[in-house]
Parts: sequence; C-alpha cells; structure tokens
Amino acid sequence: MTADPLAMHALHPTTGIAAATTDLSKVYGSGDTRVVALDRVSIAFREGEFTAIMGPSGCGKSTLMHCAAGLDSVSSGSVRIGTTELSTLNDRQLTQLRRDRIGFIFQAFNLLPTLTALENITLPLTIAGRRPDQQWLEHVVSMVGLSQRLDHRPSQLSGGQQQRVAVARALVSRPAIIFGDEPTGNLDSRAGAEVLGFLRDSVRGLGRTVVMVTHDPVAAGYADRVVFLSDGRLVDEMTHPTPDRVLDRMKAFDTRSRTS
Amino acid sequence: MLRTALRNVLAHKARLVMTVLAVCLGVAFVCGTLVFADSSAAAYRAAASKNFADIAVSVTPKEPPPGAAANQRTSVLDDALARKLAGVPGVTAMRPSVDGSATLNAADGSPLRAGKAWANLAAAYVPGEDGKDSRYPLVNGHAPRNGEELAVDSGTAVAGRLHIGDTVTLATDGPVMTKRLVGIVTTTDTRVTAGGTLALFDKTTAQRLFASPGHYTGIDLSAAPGTSQFELSDRVTAVLPADRAEATSGSAQAAQQGILVDTLTRGYEKLPLVFAGVSLFIGSFLIVNTFTMLVTQRTREIALLRAIGASRRQVVRSILWEALLVGLAASAAGSLLGLGIASVLPDVLSTGADTLPHGPLVIGPRPIVAALGVGVGVTVLAAWLPSRRAAKVAPVEAMRSAEQPPSTTRSRIRGAVGLVLLVLGAGLLISLTGAKDASEENLQSAMLGCAVLVIAVIVLAPLLAAPVIWLTGRLTGRFFGITGHLAQQNALRDPRRTAATASALMISTALVTGLAVIGNSTGQALDHQAAAGLGADYVISTRTPTTGIDPAAGQRVADTPGVRTATAVTDSTLFIGGRTQQISGIDPDTVNAVIKLDVVSGSLADLGPGRIAVSSTLAREHGLSTGGRINAGMGRNQGFKQYTVVAVYKDNPTAHDALGAHTEVQQNGFMPRSVQRILVRTDSGAVSKTTEDRLRTAVGNNPLLKVQDRQELVREAAGTMSNLLTLMYGLLAIGVVIASLGIVNTLAMSVAERTREIGVLRAIGMDRHGIRRMIRLESVTVAAFGTLLGLAGGLFSAWAVGALANGAMAQYSLALPWETLLLMCLVSLAIGAVAAAVPARRAAALRPLEAVAEA
Repeated sequence: MTADPLAMHALHPTTGIAAATTDLSKVYGSGDTRVVALDRVSIAFREGEFTAIMGPSGCGKSTLMHCAAGLDSVSSGSVRIGTTELSTLNDRQLTQLRRDRIGFIFQAFNLLPTLTALENITLPLTIAGRRPDQQWLEHVVSMVGLSQRLDHRPSQLSGGQQQRVAVARALVSRPAIIFGDEPTGNLDSRAGAEVLGFLRDSVRGLGRTVVMVTHDPVAAGYADRVVFLSDGRLVDEMTHPTPDRVLDRMKAFDTRSRTS
Repeated sequence: MLRTALRNVLAHKARLVMTVLAVCLGVAFVCGTLVFADSSAAAYRAAASKNFADIAVSVTPKEPPPGAAANQRTSVLDDALARKLAGVPGVTAMRPSVDGSATLNAADGSPLRAGKAWANLAAAYVPGEDGKDSRYPLVNGHAPRNGEELAVDSGTAVAGRLHIGDTVTLATDGPVMTKRLVGIVTTTDTRVTAGGTLALFDKTTAQRLFASPGHYTGIDLSAAPGTSQFELSDRVTAVLPADRAEATSGSAQAAQQGILVDTLTRGYEKLPLVFAGVSLFIGSFLIVNTFTMLVTQRTREIALLRAIGASRRQVVRSILWEALLVGLAASAAGSLLGLGIASVLPDVLSTGADTLPHGPLVIGPRPIVAALGVGVGVTVLAAWLPSRRAAKVAPVEAMRSAEQPPSTTRSRIRGAVGLVLLVLGAGLLISLTGAKDASEENLQSAMLGCAVLVIAVIVLAPLLAAPVIWLTGRLTGRFFGITGHLAQQNALRDPRRTAATASALMISTALVTGLAVIGNSTGQALDHQAAAGLGADYVISTRTPTTGIDPAAGQRVADTPGVRTATAVTDSTLFIGGRTQQISGIDPDTVNAVIKLDVVSGSLADLGPGRIAVSSTLAREHGLSTGGRINAGMGRNQGFKQYTVVAVYKDNPTAHDALGAHTEVQQNGFMPRSVQRILVRTDSGAVSKTTEDRLRTAVGNNPLLKVQDRQELVREAAGTMSNLLTLMYGLLAIGVVIASLGIVNTLAMSVAERTREIGVLRAIGMDRHGIRRMIRLESVTVAAFGTLLGLAGGLFSAWAVGALANGAMAQYSLALPWETLLLMCLVSLAIGAVAAAVPARRAAALRPLEAVAEA
C-alpha cells in the first residue's frame, strides 16, 4: 500500500506540503457589521500528517477549513492544494479538484439517504465516471469494518456506522488531503474513538493527510499536531498532543477570555 | 389564527404562487365564459329589441288544422284584413310582410353562406306611403319593382362580391332562379348580421314564392303613444278570424327571441366550461399537494403550536384561513384574466359564416359570484385534507428530528380501496363491451366507469409509483449513470407527492388519449361509411332536408356529356316495429350501376309497389327473410300497409335500411314529386373539375344543391371531427400548463428540502451541470410516470367505450392515432424538462458550503 502515495506524488509533484494558506483573510459584511473571521492566517499542512484545528467557538476554525478546502471564497491571501493555487480556478475546475484531490467528512455524516452504503462510498468515483480500484475499495471497507453492511441504507445504520461510511467515502478516491469538520461531534465517545482511530490509521498506515476541526481535546489527542486559533488568528501550535495538554491549553483561552 | 395564516401566506409566497396560478386559470375560464355569454346575450338582445322596437303587435296566420280543406290552406292575411287592422283604434302604422328563405350564389357561382335556412332570409320590399320600406333602408340603387329584380343587404353583397347590375342565381326551395341585382339595403336583423344573407323581392314575387298571390305571412302594427301593446293586442284579436290568425305583442316576440338567443349563447359556454372544469379538477391536485408540502414542512412549527396549547381545531382553521386567502387572491386574479378571455372569445369562436355580435363587456353579478365561489371553494376544499393531516401532528413531534416513515397500514388500506375501485370501474367498462348499441343508459354507465377508473388510478398512483419508476429508472440509469440513478431515487422518495404531482399529467393524458383514440376510430369509420357501398362517382344531394331536387333535373344530369348513368333516389322513412328506419326509393334497373349492393337472398328486380328489400340488420331485428311479410308505414302515409320482402342485402350506408320502388316511395314522400339524391356514374369513372361544373350547370347552379365526388363526401364526414380535435388539444394544453405548475412547485420544494444533500454532492465533486441534469431527470421521471398511467387508462377506456360505438357503427374498429399519441407523450416529457428549468437552476446555484454550514 505504501506504493500508492508515491504514485500520487508522481502525478502531482509536490514540496511535501499537501495544502497551505498564505496571509489568508476572510471578512464578512462591511462597515458597522464588518466581521473579520480570519486575519492573515498562514499555515501549511504537511503530507502524511494528522492536524487538528482547535479554538473556542467563533474563533474561525471552521471558516479556515472551508477556505482551505475550496468550499468558501477568500477575501485576500492565497490557498494552495499541493501546488495548485485555488484563486485561479473557476467553479468547474474547483469542483474537479474537490472531486479528485480532496476528501470530506462532515459532522452530520451527510450521506445520501437514497443510496446504499456501498453506493455512498463509491459516489465520488461514480460522479467522476471512474471505476473503483477493487482492491483498494475492499481494503478501505474492511478497515472501517463495513463489509457486512454494504447493502444497507443510511437510515438502517447507527451514527457511528454512518460516519465510518463517510470516512470510507473520503478515502476511496485516494485524495491528497482529507478535511474533517467535527467528525466526532455527533457520536458517542466509543463510536468517536473508532472513527478517530481510522483517521489516524489512514495517516500512519496509508500515508494520507488529514486536517480536522474539533473542540474535543480527546479527539485532538489522536492528531500529530494541534494548531490553536483565536479571534481569527493563529495563536499557538502543539506537536504530539495528549488530551490533558490540549485541555490545559484550552483552559488558558477560557481564563484569558474571562479576564479580558 | 388569522394573523398566523396571513404571516404564513406571506412567508411562502413563492410556493403559493403556483397554486394561485392554477386556481386563477380555472377561475379565468369560468369567469371569462360567463362574462362572454352575458355580453353576447346582451348584444343579441339589444339587436333583437331593436328588431321589435316599433312593433307593438304582430299578426301571423295560424297553422290550418290537419285535414283542412284546400281553400283553408291559404293565409287569411290579405290586403282587406290589412286595411281593417290599420283602422283599429290606436294603430299608427301597419306593415304587411312576406317572409321566407332563399339561398344565393356568390359571384363565382358557389353557394353563399348556405346550409342554414333560418339564416338565409328572404322578404318582400313593401313600400310604405313614402315609397320606402322603413325596415330596409336603401343605401344604393333602387328597390326591386318586378319579378326580375332583386335587392340584398350590404353584408351579403360584400360576402358574395355582388354588385348592382349583376345577375344573381338563387333558389328558394325548388327550382333555381336568376334575378338582376338592383339595390343594396341595410338591415338590423341579427340573423343576417350574425352571418346570414338577406334577399328582397318585390311584393308580388315574394307573395308568389312564400305565400299565395295577394296574401302575407305577417302584419306588423305600431301603437299610438298611450296605447299599450296588450290593449292593442286585445283589440286586434277581436277583429281577427279566431281560428285563422293570431296576434302577438312585440315584447312577447322579443322575449321569445331572447330565449332563442339564450339557448344559442349557452351553446357557446359549453366548451370553455369543460375546460374550466378540467383545469379546476387538475388544479385541485396541485392545491392538495402544495398544502400537504407546506404542512409537512411546518410539522415542527405546528407541533410547537400544539405543545404550547393550540387546539386541533385551531390548527385546522389556520390552514383553512390560509387556503381562503390564497383562493381569494387567485379568484381576483382569475376574474381579471377572465375579462381578458371574454373580450377575445368572440373573435376566437367566430367563423366565417358565423359572426358573433360585438358589444361592450357586461359584467353581471353571476360571473363574479361564480368566480369567487369556485376559486375559494375549490381551494378551501382541496386544503381540507392537508389540514386534517396537520391536525394529526402530535405535540411531541416538536422534539423529534427524524421524519417518520409513512405507516404501512394506510398504504394497505389505500391499496385495498384502489383495487376495489379499479375492479369496479374496469368491470363496468368490460361489461359494456358486450353492449350492442350506444343507448343513453350505456353511455352513462360508460362515463361512470371511466370516472371510477380515473379515481381508482389516482388512489393507486402512489403504490404504482415504485414499480413504474423503477422501470423508467433503469432507462435513465443506463443513459445518465449516477445522475439518472439519483433522479429515480429522489422521485421515489415520497411516492405520494410524486403521484399527486403526476396526477395532473395523468388526467390530461388519459382524457386526450381516450378522445384521440375514439375520435380517430370514429373518424375512420365515418370515412369508410361515407363512401361505403357507393358505386357512383358523384352524388348530387340537397343541402337541407326540407328541400328536394327538381325531378326534371335528373334527366338533364343524365344528358350531360361524360355521364353514363344517373339515378334519382328518393329518401323517405319506413316506420317498422316502433322505430323509424330510412328507406331509399330506387330504380331497380339502374341501381347496380351506382350502389354496390351485396344481395344475400332474393332479387332486387322484384321491387315494386308493396314489395321492398331490407338490410340484413333490419332483417335480423325483425326476423325477416325473403318472402316474409311485415306491416310498416311509409313516409307521410299514416296508415300501416303490408309489405312483402323480396330481397335481403348486406348493410349499405348508401342504400340505407330498406329499398323500395322509386315510384312508390315518391308517392309517399314528404315532398311530392321530389328526389333527394342523384347518383351519377361517369363514362370511365373519371372525376374532373369540368365534369363537376357540367353537373352543376345541369342542376341550374342551384345553391341549395351539393355536387360532391367520393373524396368530398369523405372529407365532409371527417369535418365533424374537427371540433373534437379542438377540444382535445385544448385539454392537452390545459393539462400541460397546470401539470408544469405542479412540477415546478414540487421540485422547488424538493430542492429546498435537499439543500444539504445537493451541497454534499457539490462538495464531493458533482459539477453544476450534473446537479441540473439530476433535477431535470427527476422531473422527466415524474412526468413520464403520469404520462404512462394516463396512457394506459385512456387506452383501456377508449377500447371499452369503443365497443359501444361498435354497436352503433358497423364500420367502427379500434384505430390508434400513433402520431397524436407520440406527440402527446413527447409534449408531456418535454414539459417535465421545461418545468424543471427554474428549480434545477436554483439547485445548481447552491454552494457546496451549505452542506456543512446549515448544520
């Protein structure tokens, strides 16, 4: 399996950076209602790294992810996926980029209720008109433990199972980077731990790159690196986090916001 | 609750616009039709009252009693009586009149606006003391002064391109006449101005033609100021010979004509009102669907209202208030649109020979009340079902997030009810296939059967959605891949909604299919029948049943160059076993040249007085065979006579039900010495314009007669189908418009509900084009579902009802109008694609972020 990331490298010659933002700003509204959601954020997500973005509510962590994933437009600055500058792409190119090089995992699972689990997993490939690599598909499906449930509709699956389908869907097209928006937000702790385990395995074992927004220190503990955002600015960074250290850091935000 | 309702209406403006449009369309038809009918009736009445404006009393002869002596048959209205009436106290003016009917030829020799005796008027120009006839003011030339002269009204002159000095060919009932046109007059008679003709003769000629020398057909009297019509009527009646003439007041006559006008204009209401009914019926599905969607969308809101203490009744009332407001808005808009329809209808309904009077729009209370009643009534009634559903929303659902799956018991009940109805309807229709005739009773059962069938299909539609759409989905899936697959799945997500949306198309498709198939089959049968059994190359026949062909013309036709045989046929009736059959009087020697008779038994050569031949149907009905005897009454002969059957022939539309010897049928005919048809065989079967012109000349260019070759006969028979065609395409158009409104509405709703899903598809890489195609395919799938159901229902009904026609029409067989059906299917599918345009665009414009942001 280690050959696969190398193959992707051959297709998209990179600098070892899966995605990066430079002086990224995002402003909503104007005049009195002007809100700066992101203020000149520069950050790089290295290949084969599991990054968690943390911060208090309203700090801009979701906006950062949306902009980095090409889901939202930026006010100024630049976003690159690999070597591709997103601001130069039109809607169609952006759509193709998302389809071929980005995977998504949402808090609300967001599976199509009319499709079976297997159809949901292969949906990105179907849309692209490609046949799934059967070996890779089986590998992904068995990794997330869904082999017995492929014919089920989302409504027949538990929340944890639905999110595992979403993880498989994000992995199946072998994207350069996977973005997760609170992927464990709607799950109980056991199901959440499973999903986080898969994400870490896909980084460690399959060489994927994962960026995850979360407010849960336990979830952040699975990451290789945690970046902290506050008021739209990048304020801190932590490598090899543990839940306790992350919790301490978050408490610092709380005390600061209380004292300020 | 009214405030909640108002807020809700305003909040869902866009969703309700389609409902308003659909109701508005139906209301517009109702209101427009009624306003049009009122307006044209008023215009007719205004014209009619002008006709009778200065007539206080009209004196007309009474029908002579049956069996009256010959001297009593002539009118008693002569100059002596006229002078006597003029002397009655209170009479200021007396105008005798001689009225009748005459058909003219246009300048090019073709009959002018012929075919309706009541509209081809003829009258005498009776000059008053000033030398002029006040009823017919001259605009050009002078009044007819002798039997060689003629005047016409200006409308007739323009239509026939007739000019003063022209020689005009015309006929009153029998032989053709030519007269010189010397004057042009104007008239206010509505029968003429509405597309008829008027010919004026001098008094003597008119009396000779329409009464008898020195007699009149009517005498009009004007009353002195202060003398009422009724007073004068009484005085006049005292002077009249009681059993020979009667007096009618002018207002009574105007009222009579008013009733006639009313029946005439009521006829114009029928077609638009059918459209109104259909559009409101189809539209009610749209209303039910819209309100159901609104209720579903607001389930949480309603549950919240219930949780904080609103009663079920309050919830229902709030929804009905909403419907009432929507209905009011729609009715108001519909009424306005209806006025527009009313102002263009006269031009739409007028044809060359049938001009409707123009007048100001009359907006009475009837159309307004009807529009409001129908619009509000239909909306509120249709919203009632969804409001019941809203009342069932439990307060706890405010806390629930997931949607509840529809209960299976309900769909089981639905299936059972639907199946029972289906069996009832289909059984009723199938039982009719054994029926032998299209009697009133059978027709009513057929209509009932079709109605039950339609309701059954509507009830079953949600259950049929899954299998039918699964089938169409295989097609779309194969051709459009994942978008096709998703479209199919989405169409199936709420089968009830899909079925209700498709219902509009289903009903219109079923109606159009049924009409098209029956119409096509009937048309073909008529085509066959028109020329079936006809051996002749030309048929000369009368235009109206009350006229005959001058027997002398028969010889002239036979002498025409190029004619091999000409046989005169006299048509009459034969009263057998309580029913009236048609008998043709023929010459046994020449009949075989012009009618292709297939004699089963006996010989036509034996026809003679007291000896007739009968068709095989007639023979079967009365158990007759060659040599048998039967009592029958022929023509105007009231007594029964015993007839011997000398031959039985296979049914033949040209020969009618029975054949008799020419002389005997003619003696008993309604018009003595007349023939009704001349069948002509040309030398080599050749049909040409020259021959036709020669034949026309042989019958004196008589405008009362038709000279037709076989093709023209067929075309004439097919002409009756054109009304049906108008109706058919009208219904298709209405169905398509309302169906597309419904599809737009449902899709807009679906897109709104699936914002997040569409966002996900965009996020994981489906481009805008793909989203658009998905929505469009969903729409086409729904349209295809409705079309297929309608097609099946319509074909089945047409097949079953066709059996009735089969009993009545020997030539009837089921003939599918492939082109019309194909066109209809294509139009229906296309409307699906077109209706999806706006919702598809809206869906494609959704940004992928919405999938994530709208958590």
